[in-house]
Amino acid sequence: MTMNGGYSDNTPTATPAVVPAKQNVAASKTVDTQSVLKRLQSELMSLMMNGDPGISAFPEEDNIFSWKGTIHGSKDTVFEGTEYKLSLTFPADYPFKPPKDKWSSAYDVSTILLSIQSLLGEPNTTSPLNTQAAALWSNQEEYRKMVEKLYNKPSTT
Amino acid sequence: MIIVGRGLGDVPFQFLHALLAYLGDSICPDSPSSGLKSPLASHPSSFYPGVDTPSEGLIRWKLRLEYFAYETLQDLRIAKLFDIIVDYPDSSPAIEDLKQCLDYTGQHSKLVDSFISALKYRLLTAGASTNDILHQYVSTIKALKTIDPAGIFLEAVGEPIREYLRGRKDTIKCIVTMLTDGSGGNASSGSAGDSLLEELNRDEENQENIDFDDDFNVDDKQAWLSAQRWEPDPVEADPLKGSRNRRKVDILGMIVGIIGSKDQLVNEYRVMLAEKLLNKSDYDIDSEIRTLELLKIHFGESSMQKCEIMLNDLIDSKRNNGNIKATLPKTSQAGDEVGKAEFSLDALDATIISSNFWPPIQWDGGLGWLAGNKEIARTGWDFWYLIRERPIFCAANGPCKSWAIFFMSGAHYTINPSDEPVILPELVDEVLSDYAKRFHEIKTPRKLIWKKNLGVVKLELQFEDKAVQYNVTPLLASIIMQFQDQTDWTSKDLAAAVGVPVDILNRKINYWISKGVLSESVGEDVNDHIFSLMEGSDSNRTGIHGASNDELMGDEDGDRSVATIEDQLHKEMTVYEKFIMGMLTNFGSMALDRIHNTLKMFCVADPPYDKSLQQLQSFLAGLVSEEKIELRDGMYILKK
Repeated sequence: MTMNGGYSDNTPTATPAVVPAKQNVAASKTVDTQSVLKRLQSELMSLMMNGDPGISAFPEEDNIFSWKGTIHGSKDTVFEGTEYKLSLTFPADYPFKPPKDKWSSAYDVSTILLSIQSLLGEPNTTSPLNTQAAALWSNQEEYRKMVEKLYNKPSTT
Repeated sequence: MIIVGRGLGDVPFQFLHALLAYLGDSICPDSPSSGLKSPLASHPSSFYPGVDTPSEGLIRWKLRLEYFAYETLQDLRIAKLFDIIVDYPDSSPAIEDLKQCLDYTGQHSKLVDSFISALKYRLLTAGASTNDILHQYVSTIKALKTIDPAGIFLEAVGEPIREYLRGRKDTIKCIVTMLTDGSGGNASSGSAGDSLLEELNRDEENQENIDFDDDFNVDDKQAWLSAQRWEPDPVEADPLKGSRNRRKVDILGMIVGIIGSKDQLVNEYRVMLAEKLLNKSDYDIDSEIRTLELLKIHFGESSMQKCEIMLNDLIDSKRNNGNIKATLPKTSQAGDEVGKAEFSLDALDATIISSNFWPPIQWDGGLGWLAGNKEIARTGWDFWYLIRERPIFCAANGPCKSWAIFFMSGAHYTINPSDEPVILPELVDEVLSDYAKRFHEIKTPRKLIWKKNLGVVKLELQFEDKAVQYNVTPLLASIIMQFQDQTDWTSKDLAAAVGVPVDILNRKINYWISKGVLSESVGEDVNDHIFSLMEGSDSNRTGIHGASNDELMGDEDGDRSVATIEDQLHKEMTVYEKFIMGMLTNFGSMALDRIHNTLKMFCVADPPYDKSLQQLQSFLAGLVSEEKIELRDGMYILKK
């Protein structure tokens, strides 16, 4: 799975740790596409019916392998009140091919989005991509100001 | 006018005079003269007898004049077309005029434009009832069929009407009523004793050639015949609307076209049928069977299967009812005068339904139930009850199976199967259990589960001077029976006695108050009203004497026993609501089409998305009014 934080310009500075390397979508077609479709359909269904209110994702118009996701910054974190857009692209052999280490096929869209959401609030500052942001993290008040300064409200297009 | 300008002689003027005189007479389409054949049509060229061999110029003039005459008549008819169609079929000669004129002039598009604007101005307005619009639609189809057998212009003219009707909530209901219900209780025109379906059927028997969607299995001979009859589409035909071959003016098809699919129509019919059957006070379903047979012809056996099972339930019920009564020891009926306190099964008729095949039955705590047909003797007050009623049961193989129906029909009702909400008078209850026991003996292992909230109670109240009959719901019967033993009740006590919430009781009891049987007063506690039996004098009971003895069920608002299509639809749609909210969260704003397509594409689980664009639109409008979403410039967005 490939995730590109930054569908809008809101890539939060604390997320790099979870953005995995890009991967070719048109991977091997050995896996039964039908079962992947089914899996994605049912993930969508459960996400819609029982999804956590802070996260959401939906396939793009005609391609169930390509989703748009939305994460709301958790309450009581510096990201409260902000909203981030993601693109999710699933390989044809989803969910068996690991996008990164420590992947399990039991993960699904919902758990991924929730992980990202919680990582926003508890980033791993020991191995940062954005060192400046990691340095600022210790001062939550300042960090909040920075978030507010850099945050662009996503347009509704 | 051209003619005047060219300075022709008197002849054209004489003709014009004759023409105008004729038209003057027949402007009103239902005047007697319109029944005559147009003189234009029958003698198009006999109006200047003095000339033997007309010159070329004269022939040209003759043609021009003829054209002008046809055109004039055509314009006149077109201008009045709306009224002509209102009066159809009485106005058919005017339609015949129009057809001949149009055949000559070919100005069909004029007709289409003018008629559409008349429709928009006169018919498709908020003031017109859906029934009227539908009747006009059907008349339009019938009338224009003569002019335009291929249905090309009809397509153009009908579209605005269909479009408009799709926006009305009661369209399906009106269509089903119009199709199936001959007497058409709400046909404001009061026309037609026959249902439209009967009429269509008759028409088809007359023209053996027409067979509903049977185009595909015609045999070779017929195919050859129809090939020989082939004619090209008129130039006005819209090539996008498919080949003329499948064009045949099919009234039913055009009506179904308003709704989009026959399934919806069949579903609506099923709900109406259920309601009708549940409110019957006998097993007479001849007319329903006939309607069903007609519907089967048009929609196919398989679509009507559930309806057929429902009717079979009634037939089986009648047999079972008879069998159960046959197990009773014979008692002498003659001796049973009013005043006898003994209850028997004799007067109890049960309808046993296969609940899986019926539409969801509404559980409304407000509908109480009673059962039993009986004369109950009472003492103390001056009336008697005669209860004749028809409770409805569910039979299922397992005792609790049919209860699932209650849960299905609405999330706001929670009812425990073992916790019967309506309390019936003991006598009635005993008869019910007796009936159920006998049923079980005959039909082991099946068991009856009574749905005490459904049915009709025929009740007779005996006053000092008069006996009055009422047909009421079991709850109402149960309420009034409480007054046998006690003349005054507080609303709380009475509600507890009949087993319904106080607010429902207060609403329902108005029936008896309005009939002058009970009176209401405010007790010590403002919230606890006191209901008392009206005593004595005639003046208090004028309501009773004035009332007919066959009151309707008092089901004005929301007391339907069957969940309406709208209810069911709305419930399904709430599943889609989550999808819609989900997609709007992620895509920001979306147009109706895109939401529709996205649902079609991704909402494939159970229940799959199968709604029409119109249904979706009205559902979205609902979400807008609930302030969950907004509609801005044709795009739906989440309400923040």
